Amino acid sequence: MGTSSLTYHNGRLNFQRIATLAYVLSALRSRNLEIVLVSSGAIGVGAGRLGLIERPKDLAKKQALAAIGQAELIKIYQKFFEEYNQTVAQILLTKDIVTMPERHQNARNTLLRLIDMGIIPIINENDTISTFEIEFGDNDTLSADVAQLIDADLLILLSDIDGLYSADPKKVKNAEIIRTVKTITPELENLASGAGTSFSTGGMITKLSAAKICADAHIDTIITNGNDPNIIFDILDGKEIGTHFVSNGKKVVH
Amino acid sequence: MKMECKNRIVVRIEISTLSNPDGKFNHQKMDRLTMVLSNLNNSGKQVIVVSSGAIALGTDKMGLKVQPTSNEEMQAIAAIGQAELIRFYQHYFDQYNQIVAQVLLTRDIMDNPTRVKNTQNTFDTLLGMNIIPIVNENDSVSLTDIELDDNYSLALQVAKITLADIILIKMDTNSKFIIQPRTNLKAKLVDNENELFEEIDKTCRDLKSKPYEKLFFPESIGDINLN
Repeated sequence: MGTSSLTYHNGRLNFQRIATLAYVLSALRSRNLEIVLVSSGAIGVGAGRLGLIERPKDLAKKQALAAIGQAELIKIYQKFFEEYNQTVAQILLTKDIVTMPERHQNARNTLLRLIDMGIIPIINENDTISTFEIEFGDNDTLSADVAQLIDADLLILLSDIDGLYSADPKKVKNAEIIRTVKTITPELENLASGAGTSFSTGGMITKLSAAKICADAHIDTIITNGNDPNIIFDILDGKEIGTHFVSNGKKVVH
Repeated sequence: MKMECKNRIVVRIEISTLSNPDGKFNHQKMDRLTMVLSNLNNSGKQVIVVSSGAIALGTDKMGLKVQPTSNEEMQAIAAIGQAELIRFYQHYFDQYNQIVAQVLLTRDIMDNPTRVKNTQNTFDTLLGMNIIPIVNENDSVSLTDIELDDNYSLALQVAKITLADIILIKMDTNSKFIIQPRTNLKAKLVDNENELFEEIDKTCRDLKSKPYEKLFFPESIGDINLN
């Protein structure tokens, strides 16, 4: 769940969307699907808590806001998930889960255990000690790392982007959404490198590299718009939504 | 380089301090504690809270009779309980108009200069904004055996990273505190809140009059020397 899906354009929280997300994910748990939520938004929430109008550019300030905002964010998630009797847990991770085998194993054990207990873990980067996602990714890469860590069947990246387009839709009128991608080619990466958004750090390029990490691990990825989290039901019903990166592994979709 | 006194205080809290004998969370004690700490912050001191409690609260939340013993299960329970813990702190500090932040650390950040720097920057910025950071060990991903120690070592680590002046140790009973200055001065036990504020002021004045070059916090809680 990207920052742009959790907040309005002014950076303030969209509670209705969070409530819908909590409803959708709790409903999926009731269907016995196993859910892990990777959520951005801590910096925006922190800025809101302090009544700041503009988001700071200074990295240390962003880290401080993330520490304030993460506490708020998890509180808000707890509130909404509790309405559906769904217990959540908070896990803050760093890139160590990829680079350090012991930490990989450890984080994996914790997550699988939580899933086993019927809990929805809510994950974010531990911005206090690591700044990669603050600077570059808006959790795109982190969510792919997590998907790989827990052998997920599907990664859904929700943001303000509808999917991958054949050209930049802001510039080219008849740009079309690419529905299915079987191989991430250099041409596709080229296409993606232009299309970022101003409200979050993650552009199409980090989403594409997330899809690549997943494809290598035989996990499908879907990039789509998070305006209405009910779209997750449609995805699981096999409807054609956003851009679907098909891996050559197992499939849950269609 | 001499270290100036920054009025920076690490407060170590064990969850047992905030619980009833049966292990249930005691909201009244939490209310009192957050009031005292908000006051301390308002009086111009920089306050950092190091608090345990994730596993205890997670155990309670899941309705378990006893705390789990396997590392795996403890880590899962800690992830549930940490969310609860930070919510409680926010709730009570909010009543005193005090904004808090959550900082989760692992022991090995000390081995990585970039991470130490990142962590220092976060603390400095938060404290500069009058925010109280609530620190705990990141139990869910930590590689050390969790809950083995009394969280003094985490408080000590935080004091070293932030170059704090005092480690304040909350005692189990009533409102007793131990004030441990960062010099080789003896620690002081205080019985009540008024005395606490006076003693902290006095300790800070002492530290200002003779800036020390090194940190001298005791390495373990057993090494604390009370007078």
